[in-house]
Amino acid sequence: MVSKRFIVKRLLLLVPVLFGVATVVFAILHLSPGDPALTIAGERASQEFVEEVRANLGLDDPLWEQYLRFLRETAMLDFGQSYQVQRGTPVSSILADRLPITIELAILGQIAGLLFGLPLGILSAVKKDTLTDHFTRIGALAGISVPIYWSGPLLILLFAQILGVLPTSGRISSSYFVDSTTGLILVDTLIEGNFAAFESAARHLLMPIVVLGVYSMAFISRMMRSSMLEVVRMDYMRTARAKGQGAKITVMKHGLRNAFIPVITIIGIMFGGLLGGSVLTETVFEINGIGTLLVSAIERSDYPVVQATVLVFAFMYTLVNLFVDITYSMLDPRIEQ
Amino acid sequence: MAGNDSQLSRRSFLKAAGSATVAATATSSVAGCLGGGDGGGDGGGTLRYGRSAHSDTLDPQNTTSGEVSKVTNQIYDGLINFKPGEATLTESLATDWSMDDESVTLDLREDAQFDDGTDFTADDFIATYRRFVDEDYEYYFEDASVYGPFTLGAWIDSVEKDGDYTLNITLTQPYAPFLRNLAMFAAVVMSKDDIESDFNFNADANGTGPFQLDELDNANGRIRLTPNDNYWGDGPRVGELLYIERGQNSTRAQALVEEELEIIDNLDPDTITTVEDADNTEVVRGQGINIGYMVFNQSRVEAFRDKRVRQAISYAVDTESIVEEVYEGLASNANQPCPPALFGHNPDIEDYPQDLEQAQTLLEDAGYGDGFSFQLTTFQNARGYNPAPLPTAETIRTNLGEIGIEVEIDDRQFSDYLTYTGEGKHDASLSGWYTDNADPDNFYYVLLHPQVESPEGQDYVDWSTEGFNASNRAAWANEEYMGLVEEAQRTSDQSTREDLYHQAAEIAHEEAPWVYLDYADEVRGVRENVSNYTVSAIGGPHLHLVEVE
Repeated sequence: MVSKRFIVKRLLLLVPVLFGVATVVFAILHLSPGDPALTIAGERASQEFVEEVRANLGLDDPLWEQYLRFLRETAMLDFGQSYQVQRGTPVSSILADRLPITIELAILGQIAGLLFGLPLGILSAVKKDTLTDHFTRIGALAGISVPIYWSGPLLILLFAQILGVLPTSGRISSSYFVDSTTGLILVDTLIEGNFAAFESAARHLLMPIVVLGVYSMAFISRMMRSSMLEVVRMDYMRTARAKGQGAKITVMKHGLRNAFIPVITIIGIMFGGLLGGSVLTETVFEINGIGTLLVSAIERSDYPVVQATVLVFAFMYTLVNLFVDITYSMLDPRIEQ
Repeated sequence: MAGNDSQLSRRSFLKAAGSATVAATATSSVAGCLGGGDGGGDGGGTLRYGRSAHSDTLDPQNTTSGEVSKVTNQIYDGLINFKPGEATLTESLATDWSMDDESVTLDLREDAQFDDGTDFTADDFIATYRRFVDEDYEYYFEDASVYGPFTLGAWIDSVEKDGDYTLNITLTQPYAPFLRNLAMFAAVVMSKDDIESDFNFNADANGTGPFQLDELDNANGRIRLTPNDNYWGDGPRVGELLYIERGQNSTRAQALVEEELEIIDNLDPDTITTVEDADNTEVVRGQGINIGYMVFNQSRVEAFRDKRVRQAISYAVDTESIVEEVYEGLASNANQPCPPALFGHNPDIEDYPQDLEQAQTLLEDAGYGDGFSFQLTTFQNARGYNPAPLPTAETIRTNLGEIGIEVEIDDRQFSDYLTYTGEGKHDASLSGWYTDNADPDNFYYVLLHPQVESPEGQDYVDWSTEGFNASNRAAWANEEYMGLVEEAQRTSDQSTREDLYHQAAEIAHEEAPWVYLDYADEVRGVRENVSNYTVSAIGGPHLHLVEVE
């Protein structure tokens, strides 16, 4: 059982991590070229008008004052209002709209990766040096090597433009408007009982999930294979087999639990990777999650949106890793020490 | 599939037709003649309009973005409007108007209602105006866009009503383009009741226009409008109007061909081919009201202060090949600040031909026979008036290399580019302009008048001069030109204005403060089931008149 102390300690570690991220993103934004006041005011604005906009945004205050204000407001979970991406809208409300979109993609991508990656990894280990093993390993290598910005357009070309069986972009057909209850489009269509909309959403999400899933699957299957091969050589496995236990039961009962430990670490890291990958996937498939939100906010010098989005990325990444560590310590209690 | 020949001939025909119409009416117009609907639709069908970006607000006073106006122009009305496909004015919430020097009187429509059922009156315009520019008004909008002072605030002294349906506006000075400013998207009329309540104009809308907001779906980049039952005018002729964001040009064109959209905008040469090659879609063109150019920053580079150097560079740059090869014929050659669609364009002026010998001679006369070097700042991504900024910059570098001028290309992301050039740090830059109000003043005065006195004995101003108009990225300050443009701004008689602008055009051509590059066309992709669609370079899109089979 994982102790509360362990969890509290790990949660407290979030504070310096997020503080560091907040500081770095603030510094990078203010050091990088581009003037939000001028971008907002536009080409037609006089210098006087630009200065007025700058003052309204508080961007004419000394940098340290802006930094302290940013830290204070962030600590109170007040991310301010968007300058440009959705003018005047609280950033928290924008994130509440966009975050579920990215989480849905990342979770489905991860599930796809696990569903195919784990069995393939085990199969590859059990059938080491056979044709199946070689085939799986080559597939995994290809999955890791192919970048999303290449595989995505390739799938679009094949399935949307040449075969015409899947839609090119978006999350749902333009004819369906679904109330956002959870923000997860598949869940929301089911809640409404609109199965035609569900099918449309599933068809739209299939390619993005495959792109993310292949990447995840490749990593998981490689890690599962090497982890299993290591476990198979352990004394307790030999003992189990010597006791006359069947190969299948030996692998399932004694091998899997121990082989899972390094794989779970990879799953945690992969989930972070999937969040990062969402920037590319969402861009390629034109899905308005926080990946595209971040790109758009950077392009338009929308400081509040960039700062909040990066912090949310960092928070989710560290949170997922905390869950991984908890699971890890449940599988191997020595970790907690 | 329609054959390529027929597609090409249609494209050429449309281009020619567009030019002919413009020549006749001094406006840009191409009919959406795909079915030639004669009006009187039954209000059914869905019109899906595909565009490259979603609206970042629904508040017309909170933006300078054309993407926003594509939607708000369907929901709100101005006092005056632009005719579909033309740069001429037509009635809207005002049915009649007169302007006499500083005094403007408008008679208002008595049968207009907002979509919430309240009547439109003069008070609504007054509240709209005050929200936009009057800092003493309790409901003044602090985040109002630059269009507040730019279109209304800088020119209006007072607005008063005479009864519920007459407005008397007094201007701060005679200002000929004022009526056109009233037709701009930023000057549309909002409800006084909404302004004086906590109505969220960013996410909600209530106007007197043909459509009303049904759903704003930011998560999927979509907006759904339905007919406004209280609309005073003709239309709408569809039951539903959807705006759908498809950021990439190729997917937008593909969605049109696959019949997921009815109209798309922002086409580049590749997507034009996709649309032209399909048998169920057409490319429709209209003449744009814009200009693309290269700026000489005279405040910064001494060599550019010599007219002969500017002319030499104008002779050296092969603008014809830039328009034909780089822009792939999506534009026509420019030779003066004002595009041909407006009455301020002087048709007697000819383009600078590429003439390297002449360029070299001029450089030698100016004492720069051995050449010099400068940095050319450009944005990276395509914009309507410059579909290929980097290839354009590279062509210029190659051309100028032939007369010994070394050009270093400095490409920047757009917001960084705006900051850099807005602070006058550029030596030279690629630039461009879309009209705000379809008046020549919007080119001549806004882009080339310094809006400060011209210093004695020089025709440029220092960038740091207080009150300097930074939209004049050349920092050019030619006294004769300034006088003509100021007089044209104060003159109400159109033929006198035309004459003044024609003289100003001659000076701007001769003095060459810019290398004039192009006037870009307005290009749309339209499905064959659409009729009555007109490409408009200003105002609109007038989608309430469109029918979908």
